[in-house]
Amino acid sequence: MVTEAFVQLATLNAAKRGMPHIRIAYTPHPVAGKTAAQLWQYVEGPDPTTGKPLMKEIVDDLTRPLTAEDTKTGRITPNTGPATYTDTADGLQELYLNNGMTDFLPIIVPTEERVAAMLKGTSHAPDELVGKMAGGAYEGWTYNVRQVAINAVMAGCRPEYLPTVLAIASTGTPALMSSTNSFAYCAVINGPIRDKLNMNYGIGAMGPFAQPNAAIGRAWTVLSKNLANAGIPGDTYLGSQGNNLNYNNLIIAENEQASPWTPLHVQKGFKAEENVVSLFRGLGMVPGQGAKGTEAPVPKHEECFSDLFSVFTGFFGALVVADPIIAKDLKSRGYETKEQLIEWLYKNTNQSVKDYKNRDFAIGFDYPRALKGQEPYATWYKMPDDAMIPRWPHVNDINIVVAGGQTNAFFQAGTLSYTVSASIDKWA
Amino acid sequence: MNRRKMLSLLGISPALLVGAKVDARTLGGARGAGDASRGAAGDTAASQLKITGLNPKGTPPSIQLFPLAPRLSTLDGKTIYLVDTGFQGGDILLQQMQVWFQKNMPTVKTVYKRKAGVYFEDDPALWQEIKAHGNAAIMAIGH
Repeated sequence: MVTEAFVQLATLNAAKRGMPHIRIAYTPHPVAGKTAAQLWQYVEGPDPTTGKPLMKEIVDDLTRPLTAEDTKTGRITPNTGPATYTDTADGLQELYLNNGMTDFLPIIVPTEERVAAMLKGTSHAPDELVGKMAGGAYEGWTYNVRQVAINAVMAGCRPEYLPTVLAIASTGTPALMSSTNSFAYCAVINGPIRDKLNMNYGIGAMGPFAQPNAAIGRAWTVLSKNLANAGIPGDTYLGSQGNNLNYNNLIIAENEQASPWTPLHVQKGFKAEENVVSLFRGLGMVPGQGAKGTEAPVPKHEECFSDLFSVFTGFFGALVVADPIIAKDLKSRGYETKEQLIEWLYKNTNQSVKDYKNRDFAIGFDYPRALKGQEPYATWYKMPDDAMIPRWPHVNDINIVVAGGQTNAFFQAGTLSYTVSASIDKWA
Repeated sequence: MNRRKMLSLLGISPALLVGAKVDARTLGGARGAGDASRGAAGDTAASQLKITGLNPKGTPPSIQLFPLAPRLSTLDGKTIYLVDTGFQGGDILLQQMQVWFQKNMPTVKTVYKRKAGVYFEDDPALWQEIKAHGNAAIMAIGH
């Protein structure tokens, strides 16, 4: 029994899991937030997709004899179309667009010649398996170097960007999440490759001001659609409102030269000279509203970070992107390392148990974990409503990156969790 | 910085500045058929040229088909598990279903169960319990 908002999802999900004829009855949508009396009307009323009484339909589904189709076994192989498409340039643009292979912006047509040129960006064989990625709650699709290269061409990448795109693809992380929430994704790039590719980490570091920042991010979305079947509304994408960041994601090259602190990839265990991409997943980025305490001799930026965190759910981690001016100020005020600052932020950004329990994410995700005894949720759920608890379960849920052109002391912070880092050098 | 680069930073083509005619196709260099950057000025012959693009799709796994579980001839005297997967309000909805069965099919025994863990996590112990003690199950999914 499924709510009617998910007819397509339920049908396709069952089919992709080998039960195309599973019997599903639908209730009106939504169920959340309705009273018992309202839900009684759902039970007594019709299935909105068939018009038949819901309970009669359920009883019938449980007792109607199975057909030959219902009991079919064996394996089927999904068809993803021919290996090539031939048409005029305009015709191919239409074909790729109309078949859901683009981000609805014009693409570079991946001809054999262009893909061959792209493949010169890596020493790896075209048929080498890169990874497995799932669009939605399904078994993942697999892809090789050549398939990634085709998507990199489409997104406007140059061959020298390919190792970074391969590193992202190797993590199996799609840039489009199936959740009804509208997820955003972020990739932080560290190491000398930032300069080799002419990435922008100065003025407008997170804006559309450099080809590698733009194209690598776009490639992540395009390859997620094509290599993993992600981003199909109603099937592998249910984000109710969508997220504009999905067009080319948050690509952040850390301004290592201007930062007074250890770069992110070194914090994650890599050497400074290594080239690494680190991925984050969450809901998006919020700009800081200016420096708190500007009347004081030195603004207290850490308090600004903490203030902004107060609107974060706590379900995802926090990623602060600080301009080098802010990072240097903070260091001059005693935060010798990112870790010291993170420790302060963790200890000083609190919430009441009541506020925590009222959050949708807590009810849906943390409460079941609390019931299973998983910490810190089990302890939090036993505490009185007015007790204060940290906004995040763990101190390492907070990360800091330095980027920007030092035109002013600004920062942005994202409701974004660190997920994984991957070596770019491995794919060179 | 030379004058040409300075002008380009200002968004001004040096050629345009001196009043020269510029063919849109020459701006930014030739990029070949199929480029998004090609303007409408492309000639008819070029626009009709057929080119071949590669399929960008990955490789999906094959799908194992599973037969549906045998149906019951009647629900009289049978035990039906009502499984709450944890979506908000699912518990209240299933409790209303229990009331419906009591009123309309009193010979049916219903057992309400909240699946352990987050909605996407497996609960093998519950599936085992349903196989051992139930005749059918109804799962409630959705917001």
